Amino acid sequence: MAILMNVPAILMITGIIAYPLAYALYLSFHKVGIGELRTGVMPFYGWNNFIHLFQDEVFWVSVKNTLKFSAIVVIGETLLGVGIALIIEKSRGRLSTFTRVIMLLPWAVPPIVNALLWSFIFSAEYGYLNAVLLGLGFVDTFVMWLGDPKLAIYSVAFAYIWRTTPFSVLLIHAAMQGIPRDLYEAGNVDGANAYQSFRYIMLPLITPTILIVMILRTTWAFQVFDEIFGMTGGGPGNSTWVASYYSYRYAFQPPLDVGLGAASAFVLALMIGVLAFLYIRFLRRVEVE
Amino acid sequence: MGEHQTLLWKIAIWIANILAILFLLLPIVAIFFGAVQTEKDLLTDVRNPLPKGFTLKNFEVILTGKGAESGVAHYLPPNVGVLPRAFLNSTVVSLSVTFLCLTFASMSAYAISRLRQRWTKGFLYVSLATRLVPLMTLMVPLYVSLRGFHLLNSLTGIILTMVGFLLPYAIWILTGFFLTLPRDLEDAARIDGCSRTQAFLRIIIPLSAPGIASCGVIMFILSWNELVIPLIISTRPEVMTIPVLLASLCSDKFLFFTLSMAICLIALTPSVLLALLLRKYVVQGLTSGALKG
Repeated sequence: MAILMNVPAILMITGIIAYPLAYALYLSFHKVGIGELRTGVMPFYGWNNFIHLFQDEVFWVSVKNTLKFSAIVVIGETLLGVGIALIIEKSRGRLSTFTRVIMLLPWAVPPIVNALLWSFIFSAEYGYLNAVLLGLGFVDTFVMWLGDPKLAIYSVAFAYIWRTTPFSVLLIHAAMQGIPRDLYEAGNVDGANAYQSFRYIMLPLITPTILIVMILRTTWAFQVFDEIFGMTGGGPGNSTWVASYYSYRYAFQPPLDVGLGAASAFVLALMIGVLAFLYIRFLRRVEVE
Repeated sequence: MGEHQTLLWKIAIWIANILAILFLLLPIVAIFFGAVQTEKDLLTDVRNPLPKGFTLKNFEVILTGKGAESGVAHYLPPNVGVLPRAFLNSTVVSLSVTFLCLTFASMSAYAISRLRQRWTKGFLYVSLATRLVPLMTLMVPLYVSLRGFHLLNSLTGIILTMVGFLLPYAIWILTGFFLTLPRDLEDAARIDGCSRTQAFLRIIIPLSAPGIASCGVIMFILSWNELVIPLIISTRPEVMTIPVLLASLCSDKFLFFTLSMAICLIALTPSVLLALLLRKYVVQGLTSGALKG
């Protein structure tokens, strides 16, 4: 009976996740271009896809950008997440109820809408960011937020942080709510001020959650695609190429090298696999406690 | 922290709240401002971000697909014409994915939470691990497989892929909920002669309505927002979903921002509205889906 109830889920997960994962490995070692897709005959290619991959300068740029992007994003999300969670936790009244209600809003915005929305805000000539900065006199020329190779990755990262911060806030806030109030009262009796009660009572207790959030968010930031695709298309130059975008461009845009795309996607899976391993081990340990 | 309710503290908290609200809301305001004015108004004074006019013409243009005749825009990408169709496709896909995920996941989650055999626990961790497999790694081989099954450019292909990809998450969320339900009720039902299936349908499902609502609303929003899966599987206009339509507009430098913001407003309304209306359930689902096991 139990097995029967799990059959649909096991079939779906095998078909859409387990089998493709194995097939990705298979494709990585075979030559799969547009011609091979047509004929259905995919010759064995040895390590050639990986050799091409590791010799491709753009691949290393993509890996570097992925790491840089993830670092910016995870630090940003965590700091903002703790900050906003603290605001929600420590304030009462109508204004804070409003903050709570709209909290989820960015999370629900479709990522591709987020990309278009921030393309508009960051647009050099039409954008609201430059309008405000010029209007207030902070800058005196249009800033190329997405057109400057040095700035572009930060602009995209900011747009991404805006959409994903609510998730961090939710989890961190849930952890804050789980702290017994007596602990703060005990702290007050001992004369702890607001900062001390945050630093020595709350922070140690929410640290496990913060770490879980950081690991989880890193696995997602590693896969960023929609915002990159929609805002910069990897540009200017190749300053915002990231791992997922690399696989997409090689496998699904000319020259349609599916073998190389599979190999690069498999490397991404391995990078994330290490993080996933840490996450699950950590989650189990927290559960045991 | 009752001691700290001084005036200074109150002002600080008030300012902090305002800053948080501005951070969360301003970008959405930009969509509104962009969508309700004409391109000409937008450009009259680039140093002033406030809207210089109000019009619903942009919506008329994108919903009818007629740009030149209305005088709002002399250029409109052909894909904009399929917006109503894309909206329908997105609705069909999201509703199907939500329904299938809920059905399969509630069966699995029930088995995992009630039978507590070693393999069910193992299955739970396997499903957690699969949830972390990067989507792009799956899409490259799936593209080849679906091509073989002639499921490219079909809503069926999109739906199947999304269900498979989202199921582990749905199982994880629902297992968390089922574990919190009291077993006594179910045992009582079984003593009264219910079969396991009856106990599942008559006791567990109604009791776990909040859990199912949480899981359902999250599945709907995630599938409504999903870009990568339909982008790779479907390129033809007649099977486009809303995110794919938007993706085709991203690199179009000639499309007015006022028009693309109007499309964005339509695209985000279903998911944002659901998230705000069912906020409590979304919050519960997201927290239990990430932390509990």
